[in-house]
Amino acid sequence: MHTVLIDDDMTSIFLMRLLLQREEFADSITSFQSAQEALGYLQQAPVPELPKVILLDLNMPVMNGWEFLEALQPVAPHVLDHTRIYILTSSLAQTDLTRAAQNPLVTRLIHKPLDKSEIELIKSETTE
Amino acid sequence: MVEVDISGEALKTNVLLHAIRPDQPDGIPNPCARLLMNIDTQLVEDEQRYRSLFENNPDFVLFQNQTGVILDANQAFLELVRRPKEAVLARPFSDFLPPDKAPLFNEKLAEAFQGHKVEFEVDVQLKGAESRVLNVTKVPLRVDGQVTGVHMVAKDITVEAASRSIIAQQARRLNTIFESITDAFFLLDRRWTFSFINSEVERLLGMSREQLLGKTAWLVFMGESLGEFHRQFQVAMTTGNAVHFQAFFKPRQLWLEVRVFPSEEGLSVYFTDVTDKVKAHEELYRQNQDLQQFAYIVSHNLRAPLANMLGLVDLLIDQPREQRQAPEYEQLLHHLLLNTRQLDTVLHDMNTILTVRDKQGVSEPEQVPLAEVVQQVVESLQDPLDQCKGEVYYEIPVGLCVRGTRAYLYSVFFNLLSNAIKYRSEERPLRITIVAQPSQPGPGTQVEVTDNGSGFDTQKAGADIFKLYKRFHTQPEGRGLGLYLVKTHVEAMGGRITVTSTVNVGTQFVVHLS
Repeated sequence: MHTVLIDDDMTSIFLMRLLLQREEFADSITSFQSAQEALGYLQQAPVPELPKVILLDLNMPVMNGWEFLEALQPVAPHVLDHTRIYILTSSLAQTDLTRAAQNPLVTRLIHKPLDKSEIELIKSETTE
Repeated sequence: MVEVDISGEALKTNVLLHAIRPDQPDGIPNPCARLLMNIDTQLVEDEQRYRSLFENNPDFVLFQNQTGVILDANQAFLELVRRPKEAVLARPFSDFLPPDKAPLFNEKLAEAFQGHKVEFEVDVQLKGAESRVLNVTKVPLRVDGQVTGVHMVAKDITVEAASRSIIAQQARRLNTIFESITDAFFLLDRRWTFSFINSEVERLLGMSREQLLGKTAWLVFMGESLGEFHRQFQVAMTTGNAVHFQAFFKPRQLWLEVRVFPSEEGLSVYFTDVTDKVKAHEELYRQNQDLQQFAYIVSHNLRAPLANMLGLVDLLIDQPREQRQAPEYEQLLHHLLLNTRQLDTVLHDMNTILTVRDKQGVSEPEQVPLAEVVQQVVESLQDPLDQCKGEVYYEIPVGLCVRGTRAYLYSVFFNLLSNAIKYRSEERPLRITIVAQPSQPGPGTQVEVTDNGSGFDTQKAGADIFKLYKRFHTQPEGRGLGLYLVKTHVEAMGGRITVTSTVNVGTQFVVHLS
């Protein structure tokens, strides 16, 4: 299952990769340390290459997670038909939780760190 | 002809006319033989009229000679002193006066004998009479140009004087009340004219009673900045409802809380200076914003490395003992160390910020030579400048001092120059210019720090540029603390900072200092 990771923190990316590989969640992982780069990639990716899952960090410089979601809808609406987007954040703020629940593009908000049980849950959601 | 109930003034005039210049009415038969007899008849008639006027006058009337002796007194006077005529005539008027009032009457009598009509008011208790307030007129009687006597007409104005004093007392009381309330208070009539002002109004508006009374309110509350006052006063006057508002009175730089109560007569306006309250409110608002920033830091910048550490430790625990030589084991440890350090850095940053905000351990503001501080900063950054072949030019007048703290000024310029180096453009050698000059408009000094670096999108960054842990470049690594500290330090010295930037052209910071 193709998965895209978007996070400016290299440790976070390292951790997610390691965990996803161990749990044999993804056969291919593409990671971006900037939301803008990820946006460019998704815009031009042919449909068969679109990821099944995006794990999106919120707090990033230049373009944050919310801005990425706003920008994604007009430029690559087809992505939303093939991909589930999960927000993965260290933020414990209630405002972020509420905002995630209200955003139709977001499946769920997950608090860092990612663990085995969360991965199992995502797996079951994506194979429904 | 004269009536008895007419005013004292008319009466006196007519008495005078009768006494010295008997009128010659029209229509008298003219033959010379009858002339004398007619004049005699006329004189008798006039004399009777005069007597009647004198006797029946409700005012107290006396005729006195030069020494004050009473030559004639009317019925009203006799009733007042409760004496028969014989007991009054040929006695000096001062016999009827309390000793303290005699000099006044004597003085006025002497004045009247000079040929002047005199008038005065006096509160007096004549012997045998009750205490009265009298309006006294003394009119000289001239015969052949000589003053032969003086008529004294005393009108009883006791009741009038009493009500007059009550009115005056009430006005004084009202005045005392409006002066003793701590609010500023003024009255506007229906033509928007100031009709009453207390001294608090003078103090707060910085204008005197003389400048305001009788003038229109729009003299004070005019101009675009005072539109709120104008609008609210209009509302109160037209709707007849009380209004309550808070507005900034620009001419005096004061926040005023105003209560306006309309009435038949116009508007009663009470106001107080709430500038301190508004300032305190703003300060609270600012502190609340800062607290939110700290909550943000706690949730992101403390939590982020901590979340990573938790994840790493989880994986380390899961690692079977025999696999601890595996390549990722080293990586896990490396990341764990990295994030532990990151957490430590955030805690250090918070300590730095709180120290600045508490202003603890900071020396009092002093005059700091600007060129000296900038020189120190440039020297300390010489190595990184040399490495990127960057150059710093500065134009700072020799001996120019700014009011502030040396450590803060150093931090401000160190952070601005470090940023310029960090975010330089790879396409051209870095060039930084620092120009100091008097602020326009003054007072104070403004320092422009301009670079030709990579710049940023001012539109997008907006007010966030100076916020804590906000970053606007993905590369190279920045923590988002520098500009936050710059702004905090500048503001701690009572200054302010602005920024303009163009992507791929450069950035200019302007620091205003006092």
